[in-house]
Amino acid sequence: MPAGRSGPAAQSARRPPLLLPLLLLCVLGAPRAGSGAHMAVISPQDPTLLIGSSLQATCSVHGDPPGATAEGLYWTLNGRRLAPELSRVLNTSTLALALANLNGSRQQSGDNLVCHARDGSILAGSCLYVGLPPEKPFNISCWSKNMKDLTCRWTPGAHGETFLHTNYSLKYKLRWYGQDNTCEEYHTVGPHSCHIPKDLALFTPYEIWVEATNRLGSARSDVLTLDILDVVTTDPPPDVHVSRVGGLEDQLSVRWVSPPALKDFLFQAKYQIRYRVEDSVDWKVVDDVSNQTSCRLAGLKPGTVYFVQVRCNPFGIYGSKKAGIWSEWSHPTAASTPRSERPGPGGGACEPRGGEPSSGPVRRELKQFLGWLKKHAYCSNLSFRLYDQWRAWMQKTHKTRNQDEGILPSGRRGTTRAFT
Amino acid sequence: MSRREGSLDPQADSSISPLPHLEAKIRQTHSLARLLTKYAEQLLQEYVQHQGDPFGRPGFSPPRLPVAGLSAPAPGHAGLPAPERLRLDAAALTALPPLLDVVRRRQAELNPRAPRLLLRLEEAARQARALGAAVEAVLAALGADETRGPRPEPAVVATNAAAAAPDAGVFPAKVLGLRVCGLYREWVSRTEGDLGQLVPGGPA
Repeated sequence: MPAGRSGPAAQSARRPPLLLPLLLLCVLGAPRAGSGAHMAVISPQDPTLLIGSSLQATCSVHGDPPGATAEGLYWTLNGRRLAPELSRVLNTSTLALALANLNGSRQQSGDNLVCHARDGSILAGSCLYVGLPPEKPFNISCWSKNMKDLTCRWTPGAHGETFLHTNYSLKYKLRWYGQDNTCEEYHTVGPHSCHIPKDLALFTPYEIWVEATNRLGSARSDVLTLDILDVVTTDPPPDVHVSRVGGLEDQLSVRWVSPPALKDFLFQAKYQIRYRVEDSVDWKVVDDVSNQTSCRLAGLKPGTVYFVQVRCNPFGIYGSKKAGIWSEWSHPTAASTPRSERPGPGGGACEPRGGEPSSGPVRRELKQFLGWLKKHAYCSNLSFRLYDQWRAWMQKTHKTRNQDEGILPSGRRGTTRAFT
Repeated sequence: MSRREGSLDPQADSSISPLPHLEAKIRQTHSLARLLTKYAEQLLQEYVQHQGDPFGRPGFSPPRLPVAGLSAPAPGHAGLPAPERLRLDAAALTALPPLLDVVRRRQAELNPRAPRLLLRLEEAARQARALGAAVEAVLAALGADETRGPRPEPAVVATNAAAAAPDAGVFPAKVLGLRVCGLYREWVSRTEGDLGQLVPGGPA
């Protein structure tokens, strides 16, 4: 009985290709009666079917050993005995099976449909491949590391699981000319990714797409068009150093080096800093660090270990107008703020070195106040540097007072003195 | 080495003492065989896992089809003289790598997303070669390597390859692979036992 076929993409059932293994057995000598998987033949052999379709199969017993008949034969599927009502004896030597509404294959090597003799011995087997054709891959994203290569990632079709081995192939070509090329290095950054290591052109667009193929059909993604220069990323900034700012208990200074691979091209690099307290998982991100290689974090907690990371976005390379792609974060670098008896302030922001005003709210207001003072009170030598010096002096004074008076309970403030 | 059952030379003259390095060679090869027995068991477990039920289930008993060029250790193997046992071990270990390669190629099509299985099959072929060479070195040191066991004919290996080829049924290919992995485990374990009897102080 032919196998049930459904869907235009379903492969046709194959004729039982058991002649070769049978030949092998004849060369070696016939097995003992009832002991061989090739004492019967299952048809179809290794069919491919859509989920939800039906299958009609037969198990035909050979004449050896004499007296072997279809009576007493039974089927199992993945080791589970199938209900007798699914089978019927077609003739003295053939047992038929009808399965409906098939589920997706349990393993990629195929579901094991086995025909057994009355005593349970295996007479023959066939592997069923039940699944779905692939859906269109989508969400292709690509990036180039230092303009030398291209790595792309994609998402498989909308429903993902096809229950069949599905092969994904990343293709690319120059938009205006050239032939199709196939990416060869797969799974570099996850299961659905590919890496093109070399021979890429700049200043000209590429077309990139993904083809998905399995036993039941194929699908192709939309084409992504890009110029390598628009998707450049780079290495994290090296040599990140974090250090204290004198005795200032709520500040740390961060310094780094521009990524060397693009140092001749990073005219407009952007940087981001993130930091967290040692035993916390919450990072705070400082965004507005443009094209500098140093920054001062302020508003930190005294006596606290901080982990700091920096990353770089090399946008604008060779005049590209696209945003560029952030690098990975640098390895965490740790440093601690000096201890203080006074409770420290909560939040923080990046301050440029040299005492220039930052964007933090407290310091912004202070800047405005100093500006007003200079104008109205003729205090021409007021500046943030002076303010920081005052804070450092305040800390030293506070510590000395603590030593004279003994350790203050936490939360109690010492008397402040105006700095004139 | 004193004369005892399982000694290297059935007509050993007690005045002849084996070279010290022979004992070391035997111990080393025995250790290798013991390690590979464990790996062979792991390979078998990995293999059945990827073929799906009923492979690997207790009581699963597919037909023990003969594999061209290699059979399981005979029931009378343990009663043979030591050099003969080692020769049979070496011959089997030499026959196994091409069979394991056939299985690996077929599994690369059936289970392409099982890199660990494919790696284990590749490593098993290398390990079988290494152990076979080590056993032959022991035989050479014993002066008992003049006769080598049967090697599978290229045509016979090709027949095995055909049975596991893409056009052959998937189920027979799975069964063939199970058989080969089983034979690998049996022969490595057998080699470990045979060498164990030669290790000084080992079981007689």
